[in-house]
Amino acid sequence: MTLDITQVYRQVEEMAGEMKNRRADYGRRLATATEVLKSAATEQEVLRHKVERAHTSWLLAGLKEDIGLHKAPASLPSDFCVVGCDGSHIDVDRHHSERLFLFNMGVIYLRYGGSPDAEFISSPTLYYGEERQNIRSTGGQQVAIEGPLLGIKRGVEECRSLADRVCSAPDGLPVLGLIDGSLIMWGLVGQRYEDFVIKDLLDEGLLKQFDRFFELNKTRQAALASYISFPRSADVANVLRLQICPYDPVDCDRHCQGKLEGRPCDEIAGVIDRALFGKVLGDRERSPVFYSTSSINTRYGIHKVCFFYIGMGEEVARVEVPEWVADDEALLNLTHAIILDQCDKGFGYPVCLSEAHEQAVVTGTDRDQFWDLVDRVLQEDNIASQRSLKQRSKRVRWI
Amino acid sequence: MDLKQKIAEVIETSNSEFMAQCYELEGVPALGSLVRTRGRDCDIYGIVYYSATHSLEPGRRIIARGQNAATDRDVFKANPQLARLLVSDFKALVIGHRSGGDVKQYLPPSPALVYAFVYTSTDEEVRQFTQSLNFLSLMLDSRLPVATDEVVAAFLRSAGHTHPSSQGFLIRAGKELAWLLSNDIRRLDSILKRLSQ
Repeated sequence: MTLDITQVYRQVEEMAGEMKNRRADYGRRLATATEVLKSAATEQEVLRHKVERAHTSWLLAGLKEDIGLHKAPASLPSDFCVVGCDGSHIDVDRHHSERLFLFNMGVIYLRYGGSPDAEFISSPTLYYGEERQNIRSTGGQQVAIEGPLLGIKRGVEECRSLADRVCSAPDGLPVLGLIDGSLIMWGLVGQRYEDFVIKDLLDEGLLKQFDRFFELNKTRQAALASYISFPRSADVANVLRLQICPYDPVDCDRHCQGKLEGRPCDEIAGVIDRALFGKVLGDRERSPVFYSTSSINTRYGIHKVCFFYIGMGEEVARVEVPEWVADDEALLNLTHAIILDQCDKGFGYPVCLSEAHEQAVVTGTDRDQFWDLVDRVLQEDNIASQRSLKQRSKRVRWI
Repeated sequence: MDLKQKIAEVIETSNSEFMAQCYELEGVPALGSLVRTRGRDCDIYGIVYYSATHSLEPGRRIIARGQNAATDRDVFKANPQLARLLVSDFKALVIGHRSGGDVKQYLPPSPALVYAFVYTSTDEEVRQFTQSLNFLSLMLDSRLPVATDEVVAAFLRSAGHTHPSSQGFLIRAGKELAWLLSNDIRRLDSILKRLSQ
């Protein structure tokens, strides 16, 4: 017997009933949040001051532009390039005697305008041996790259593949490098990783790739951005909680310690940015630019991650950019315009990212083929590889 | 070999036919045209009887994109990735081979090679190949998934233009068809009508 879907059905029905009751309440809170946003727009400086002094238990958006701003896209350049990258991986299999993993990078280069062109790249890399599979400190410590760290490492390699292709785009054309997901290494936040791990993955890894984009801007217009479809973040909505908080300075621990409801700011509890900007942004407009106050963002230096939301009609997407893109009006406009165009061509999601995903994806069948290939080649070379008895019992489903 | 004539590569092969994938989306040879590829010890000739343009991946459907485009060319210009996602291929019926300099209008001893390049034939090659019309029996007897008579007529019409007298070639072909189809007048009539149009 596998999943008993009839049992699940009853539970889904119960859940739907509960959600129905909550929906009216959520609608009221969202309407309140929208009004608070409008009033906040008239008291910019007060709010900015409040954000800077606040001690909250939730993540806040830093204000870079007026919170009430909503801006239509600039026009697209006649000729431009966009490069999208996505990756997937085969993780270390602890049921296999050989410890190895694989990244598969999908990179899509698209050129628009007078000489349209496209290039698809699918590039797998096998990681084996102590040196490639561990992060090492100068003092001799090492941490194995697997599980969550492997996902973070993959993000670094995605950015490297993206930068490689962006750097070889035709001279003179504006170019946008786009990745799926966040520019912020959330996986490193809140985890107790040793500093040499963070240094390897962030300072020497991701940020070195960001540097390549930054340097490229000295000779051409090159922007870097990431795209988050259906975002769940509430950084801006959390700022609105400060707006209605009666305490000044805001200090959650001091004034509302232990309370999970009944606080003044709970009038807009549960509201997320996507819903909020869905109410205030016109179609194709962008929100003001904010910066993330995540603790890891302080390590990003000139690449401090900023973000804005785009009204896409059916959904609101979050776009993250390094601060040097956010501060350059031309690059910001280019990013906004190209992402909208990519979404038009991709039926709501950037076409360069959906095609990059197609190039990168590793299916269940691919995984089985990969491990079979590893076994076969090792056996041919008289190297015994073993799989755990547990895994063998799963593959051969006996009765 | 003239690279301009190189249009495709064999991706499926058997003694009687081969399928080839085109390098260009719009590079499909015309129905009934003579193409050449390589077998183990010979050149193999085939006549194109089927071609298609489709998604490279079976699970991905092509969807309409041109509602706001002025021309169908604009759809490709605005979506340059399409040329990488779509593919054209064609099937050719094997009707002869060239071994040791001689054209032989019967099946070669072994199929075309997988990944062998496929070339369009020059007018001179077509003219030489159609000096003899023995290949017609091979064509008429084949059971193609498309109307065989359409393919026969298309090939003869285009081959006629490579001869000094197109009319003379078609009369010769008509006589050969009359001999081969003497017990099937309706079919003969159908092909001859297609030749004269």
